[in-house]
Amino acid sequence: MHFFYVREAWRSFRQHRGLVYTALLSLIAALSVSAGFLLLLHNADHAMRLIGDRREMVVYLKDGVTENQRDAVMQSLQRLYGTATYVSKEQAWEEFSQQVGDPSLLEAVDQNPLPASLRVKLRPELLHFDAMEEAARQVAQFPEVEDVRYGAEWVRRLDELKDRLGRGAIASGILMALAVLFVIYNTIRLSVQTRRGQVEIMSRLGASDRFIATPFAFEAVLQTAVAAVVALGLLFAFQQGVRAQIGGVEFLPWSWALAFVGAAVMLAWVASLYALTRVLRGIGA
Amino acid sequence: MITFEQVTKRYGERVGLDSVSWHMDEGECVVVAGHSGAGKTSILRLITHEIQPTSGVVRVGTFRGGRLSRSQRALLRRTLGIIYEDFRLLNDRTVFENVALAVHITGRFADHEVIPRVLYALEEVGLQNKQASYPWELSAGEKQRAAIARAIVNRPAVVLADEPTGALEPRSADEVLALLRRIHSEGAALLLVTTRLEVAQALGGRTMFVEDGRLTGEVQPVKSGPGARNADSGSSPGSV
Repeated sequence: MHFFYVREAWRSFRQHRGLVYTALLSLIAALSVSAGFLLLLHNADHAMRLIGDRREMVVYLKDGVTENQRDAVMQSLQRLYGTATYVSKEQAWEEFSQQVGDPSLLEAVDQNPLPASLRVKLRPELLHFDAMEEAARQVAQFPEVEDVRYGAEWVRRLDELKDRLGRGAIASGILMALAVLFVIYNTIRLSVQTRRGQVEIMSRLGASDRFIATPFAFEAVLQTAVAAVVALGLLFAFQQGVRAQIGGVEFLPWSWALAFVGAAVMLAWVASLYALTRVLRGIGA
Repeated sequence: MITFEQVTKRYGERVGLDSVSWHMDEGECVVVAGHSGAGKTSILRLITHEIQPTSGVVRVGTFRGGRLSRSQRALLRRTLGIIYEDFRLLNDRTVFENVALAVHITGRFADHEVIPRVLYALEEVGLQNKQASYPWELSAGEKQRAAIARAIVNRPAVVLADEPTGALEPRSADEVLALLRRIHSEGAALLLVTTRLEVAQALGGRTMFVEDGRLTGEVQPVKSGPGARNADSGSSPGSV
């Protein structure tokens, strides 16, 4: 029986090529735009992760803190917030010297003014503004701690950007869904109208809506799958071109690409069944 | 098998059927005769649930009138074999595929089970040598025989025929009527609507006359035995 449906879909595919090509082109256009958004999001997300990995909290210790006190603070930080690395006054001065570069500029400084610090690489769940602010507030209350810095403004902006990208991802998903729904709905409607006589005869012979609808739905799913793969192919060509020019642009991971095709196919199935339910009721043979 | 109880069908102001009651038993042959617009096709369309009665009840087998759901309507139609005056074959499919479609629609048979059933039906109507032809390659008589094969391939309990000889020249019409007689003799109930009295006479079943949406008379079939004649049980208009 399933072979019958596939054969019917293939028959329709051959007999209504004009309609099929029009639908394919429309779907490729809609899915290419959506895939383009996805590529943008993926690269933005990738960049965000790289930046996020560098986010850390610097805990400056008071000058009189003993080794035991320092170890106790380190243990608390590691238990509560993430991996802590001790940077002594001397290491801090060494780093500063290297950053300044010219030793003559540092000759006027007769005493190392830099404090010892603990650099805390925060756990992933703490890498956002609210959590970092709360962590910094709590750590600042330790008696051994002089000050806590974590680049509050920078983290807040980064979080805002991430939120915007998240909204962009949702908008992109909705755009893709609407485009696929629109194209599939209208293609199916046209397709059924073109074969109205055939649908009426089948209905009079006792065909259920499911029997009539399945070949149309198969056809829509097949068209969408082909369109999604072509859209990804076009995107890959685009990404390769951009990478050759400016570099650093990554293509979608396989999991994203497969999810993209899967989502498009699922949407096509839902859209075609919705369209067929409405159109067949309209024919009402 | 099929029962109409006080069935009225209105199309706007016009009355298609006016309080019609009749019954058809299993295996019976009934011809509904009347002129164009008398209400014959309304009877068929009410049976197949293409239209709903304005009032009254239509019963077909276990399906009792009222508004059937789309799936119930599909099930009802699968119990019927329907033959149309204009054949209603799908021109983009071969004769075999047209007949096979009716088998596929039942959803009861695997692909490999469809072939022998279709070939048997085509053999019954004498079209086994035309199975690969397309409808547009056939004569009108052959098209109607293909449509009959499609109607009987699922062994329906009742075959409905809407003016099956209307588009045929006399010889093809005789062949089709002979075929319908044979189908009926093999056990299927047959309900045929026609404007031609000679078709009713050729089939030899019970004939009901319809005029202006009313049943105006009925003629019982010819009984076997010496000297048997048509037994008029109502007021036959004589001609239609």
